Amino acid sequence: MVDLLANVSIEMQYLWAALILVFGLFGGYVIGQLNRQLLFGLGVEEAVEGTSLERTARNFGTDTITVLARSTAWIIYLFAIVYSLQVAGFVQTSVLLSRGADLLPSYVLAVLVFMGGLLAGDKVEMSVDERLKGVKFPEVSLVGRILRYTVIFVAVLFALAQIGVAVEVLFILLGAYLFAFIVLTATALHQLLAAGGAGLYILLSEPFSIGDRVAIGNREGVVQEVDLFVTTIEQDGRSYLVPNHLVLRKGATLIRD
Amino acid sequence: MVEPCALFEDIVADIDALFLFSPTGSEYEDATELEETPVVVVDTDNTVEADKFVAVPLEFDDIEDRIRFALEGATEQELVEPGDQVAAALSLFGDDRDMIARVRVRDGTHGIYDLFTDSRADPAVIRDAFDVAIELGKKGQKGKPVGALFVVGDAGNVMNKSRPLSYNPFEKSHVHVGDPIVNVMLKEFSRLDGAFVISDSGKIVSAYRYLEPSAEGVDIPKGLGARHMAAGAITRDTGAVAIVLSESDALVRAFKGGDLILELDPEEY
Repeated sequence: MVDLLANVSIEMQYLWAALILVFGLFGGYVIGQLNRQLLFGLGVEEAVEGTSLERTARNFGTDTITVLARSTAWIIYLFAIVYSLQVAGFVQTSVLLSRGADLLPSYVLAVLVFMGGLLAGDKVEMSVDERLKGVKFPEVSLVGRILRYTVIFVAVLFALAQIGVAVEVLFILLGAYLFAFIVLTATALHQLLAAGGAGLYILLSEPFSIGDRVAIGNREGVVQEVDLFVTTIEQDGRSYLVPNHLVLRKGATLIRD
Repeated sequence: MVEPCALFEDIVADIDALFLFSPTGSEYEDATELEETPVVVVDTDNTVEADKFVAVPLEFDDIEDRIRFALEGATEQELVEPGDQVAAALSLFGDDRDMIARVRVRDGTHGIYDLFTDSRADPAVIRDAFDVAIELGKKGQKGKPVGALFVVGDAGNVMNKSRPLSYNPFEKSHVHVGDPIVNVMLKEFSRLDGAFVISDSGKIVSAYRYLEPSAEGVDIPKGLGARHMAAGAITRDTGAVAIVLSESDALVRAFKGGDLILELDPEEY
């Protein structure tokens, strides 16, 4: 395009430059507004409600959506200005432009990924806290915080990878962390998982129901309650909580008399 | 010349605690200005986020029941001690605050508190069963009054002391009393006779159960019918509580240990 314009007269060059500038500014504004509408339409406003990113934005008298919409508009403005300067021949910007065109998208993406990570982390913490509100155990808020920082860590990792920083070590760290987490959870919960799996079968097929007299292992009694994890049987004022996987493993004898 | 205020000021003189029943936010704010006297809020929900709070499952008709329940709840939480003198501010005739009572905290629990907190079933489950019975009493089945009997808790033993009248619509289902859909289901199933059996955790175990407890020696007020007799007897034979909606006078009654504990008029709710 630059070659094409090289032959036209200097006046035409100025005209082109002005057109590009006007068009760029106009386009940037319209796209910024459209972006804003789109973000509102997608319900981003509700999604970011109450997150720390939104609060920070509010402290500066703006909000997350405006920041996002403005930044897209500003990137377009910047390109329009640089390009029109180039066309007008004021500055030799081709080097700047080509490098900028290479790098800018990945930087923009990195920033977006990072912001998205912050938002998602906040969201995760908020929803987990909401879920655990009924649990009267103060340390439980740690769960939400750990999840939040995990999400942010992953986002930072992707953002850094996007702009080409060497992050292999961090990825290995993430892998080790996830591996440890999975192993620990599986070890800690395998009893519950086994009981839950067996409980699902018992609840769905109901081989015995409340009021039946059953013997499981060396315990015998009337079934009082069946839930996902345990079956409660009662005999002579004693309630036995039998984990459901034991019900399947040892087998239950229905006693009819 | 004596002002009415001065005449009755000894009602609230030297009290150990003030019990506010269902206060508004501003009312509670004002009350917390009292520095000497602890303020205990009594309500179904802690909407004012008070530190000292006693949850009542229902707004009982009887004002004495209401106060007793609150006092026993507060004693349980060690907010007050037996022997303390407290003042209770509540609404008797309208929604406005219109009465103050001075009460001495007594030792031990009486029936209603015991019914909710010391039964086998969860207090929330009993409350939900009450809600269903009250709802049913208010609306009836297609405008006609219906009767219903809910046996809550100790479901294993209740099932062994009863037999099915028809196939059990709740077989292999996992609905709990308090689930939104349940009101509709129970309303439909209340058309047929028989009791609903609900487990300790609130699972609806069965409908259409014919209860066969031994009714010998069960003493219920004269004039109540077979449904109430069955309800009283099953609670004496098992650890369950029974909540009955009467078809004839549309009152909701609760039995525990063979005794009539509580009587409510659904129209009041």
